[in-house]
Amino acid sequence: MIRFDDASVVYGGGVRAMSGLDLEIGDGEFVVVVGLSGAGKSTLIRAINGLVPLTSGSLEVTGRQVNDLNRSGLRDLRSEIGMVFQGFNLVDRTSVLNNVLMGRLHSVPTWRTILGRYPAEDVAVAAEALDRVGILDKARVRASQLSGGQRQRVGIARALAQQPKLILADEPVASLDPPTSHEVMRYLKEISAELGITTLVNLHFLDLATAYADRIIGLRAGELVFDGPGSECDADVFESIYGRSLTADDTMEKQAAL
Amino acid sequence: MTAATERLPTRLPRSRFAIGSAIGAAVLTVLAGRAVGFDLSGLITDLTRPNSVVEGLLSPDWTQIWSRRSRSAFIETLQLAVLATAAGAVVALILALYATEYGAPNRAVRVGIRLVNSVIRALPDLLWALLFVSAVGIGALSGLLALFFFSIAVISKLTSDTLDGLDQAPIEAALAAGASTTEMLRTAVIPQILPSYVSFVLYGFEINLRASAVIGLVGAGGIGERIQFFQGRGEWDKLWGLVILFFLVVFAVERISTFFRRRLV
Repeated sequence: MIRFDDASVVYGGGVRAMSGLDLEIGDGEFVVVVGLSGAGKSTLIRAINGLVPLTSGSLEVTGRQVNDLNRSGLRDLRSEIGMVFQGFNLVDRTSVLNNVLMGRLHSVPTWRTILGRYPAEDVAVAAEALDRVGILDKARVRASQLSGGQRQRVGIARALAQQPKLILADEPVASLDPPTSHEVMRYLKEISAELGITTLVNLHFLDLATAYADRIIGLRAGELVFDGPGSECDADVFESIYGRSLTADDTMEKQAAL
Repeated sequence: MTAATERLPTRLPRSRFAIGSAIGAAVLTVLAGRAVGFDLSGLITDLTRPNSVVEGLLSPDWTQIWSRRSRSAFIETLQLAVLATAAGAVVALILALYATEYGAPNRAVRVGIRLVNSVIRALPDLLWALLFVSAVGIGALSGLLALFFFSIAVISKLTSDTLDGLDQAPIEAALAAGASTTEMLRTAVIPQILPSYVSFVLYGFEINLRASAVIGLVGAGGIGERIQFFQGRGEWDKLWGLVILFFLVVFAVERISTFFRRRLV
C-alpha cells in the first residue's frame, strides 16, 4: 500500500511540484496519473521510490516511511519497486539479457556482479520476465538492435525481474507510435492483473488513460484535482485537470490522424 | 545578387579575445626565440659540421639487432611495459570511476580521489623514474613502479574524459532497481566505456614502451640503460643501431595497436 499524508515537494528553485497531497493506493490497483507536463506526475512517481525526497509530510510505501530510510533502506525499498522509463534507459552496448539482469542486482552478491557470473536462478528469473513480454528469443541480441517497442518491453522485463510489489511507469509510451503504445499498455495491464502488482502509470494522452485505468488521478500544479474510476473521467473532468478545453493534441488517436 | 543574399544577417564581429590571443601567441613565440638565441644558419652549420654522433648515424652497427645483451634489454623493456600497463590499467579504471559524482556520492571521498589523481597526473615519467631510482635503487623494479604510476596517469585521465560524456539513463535505472554504487558502475557504466577504455589501455602500452627508453637513462632498467651505456662509451654506431631497432619495435607495436583500436571504437 502507498499512503501520502499532507506530502509536499519543493524543488531548489522554489517550484512546488507537489503540495499537500493526501492519497492512498491499495494493493493490486492499476492507476493512471494524468496532467500537463509540469503538473507533478514525475515527482509523484519518483517520490514513491525515493528518487525525489519529500520536503514535508509523510509517505508510506510497502510498510516503510520513505523519508526515514537511510541508503541501504532505500536500496531495499527500490528493490521491491520496478521502474519503467520514458527513454527506456537501457545499456545499448550490452545484451538484452544483461539489461534484464540489472533487475536482479539487489539479490546477487556484488562480487558475482563484478565478474558477470550471475547465479542460475537469477538468470532463470530474467528469462521468465523476457518470456512474459514475448522477446525471450532476443535475449542474446544487443539492446541497440531492437525497435522502440521491443526496447520498452525489455524495460518492462527488467522491472519484472525484480519480482516487484509495485511497478512505476513514467510516461512509458511517450516515445512510441500509437499501435506500439497500446501493446506496451496491454503488457503493463496484463502483468498487473495476473501477478497482482500495484501499478502507477504516468500518461498525458487522455484516451490511453481512460482505456486502461482502473482509477485515474488528475494532477494540476502539484495538487490532486481528480481521483476516481476511469468511467467517471469525461471531457469536463479533463478540462478541469488541464485547465483548458481539449485539443487534438491531448488524445493519441486524434494526434495520430493529424 | 538574389534577394536572399541581401536579407542574410550581417556577419558577427570577430571576437576580440580570439584576435588578442592570436597576436599574443605570435609575440610570445618571437620573444621566446630571441631569449634562447635561436639562429637558423647556426643550426645548419652545427648539424653539417663533421662529428662522431652524426657519423654513427650514417653507419649504424646493425649487429646490435642480434646482440644477446641488447636483446635481453629489449625483452626487459617489453616486460616492464606489459606489467606496468596491466597493473596501472586496473588502478586507473577504479580511480577514474570513483572520481565521478555517481561513482562517489560522498563528496569527501570524491575530492580525495580527485586529489590523488591530480598528483599522479602532475608528475612526468622521468620524475617518477628519478623518484623510484632514489627510493628503491637502480634497476628494473624502479622502472616498473615509474611506468605503473605513469600508466595510471595516462589511462585514468583519458577514461575520466569519456566518463563525462556518459548516458546517465541506465545509471538511473540501476539505482531505481536497488543496485549499490559498485554494482551500478559495473552494469550501467562499464559496458558503456569498455571499448574506449580498452583502446586507452593499448595506447597506454604504446606510451609506456616509448617512455621505457627515457626512464632507462636515469637507471630505471630496460633499453634506456643500454642506450645510456653506449652513449657513455661514445660508441655512436652501436647506439644508433639500437635506436633503429627500438624504432622498428615501437613502429610495429603502434601499427598493431592502431589496428585493434580501430576495431574497438
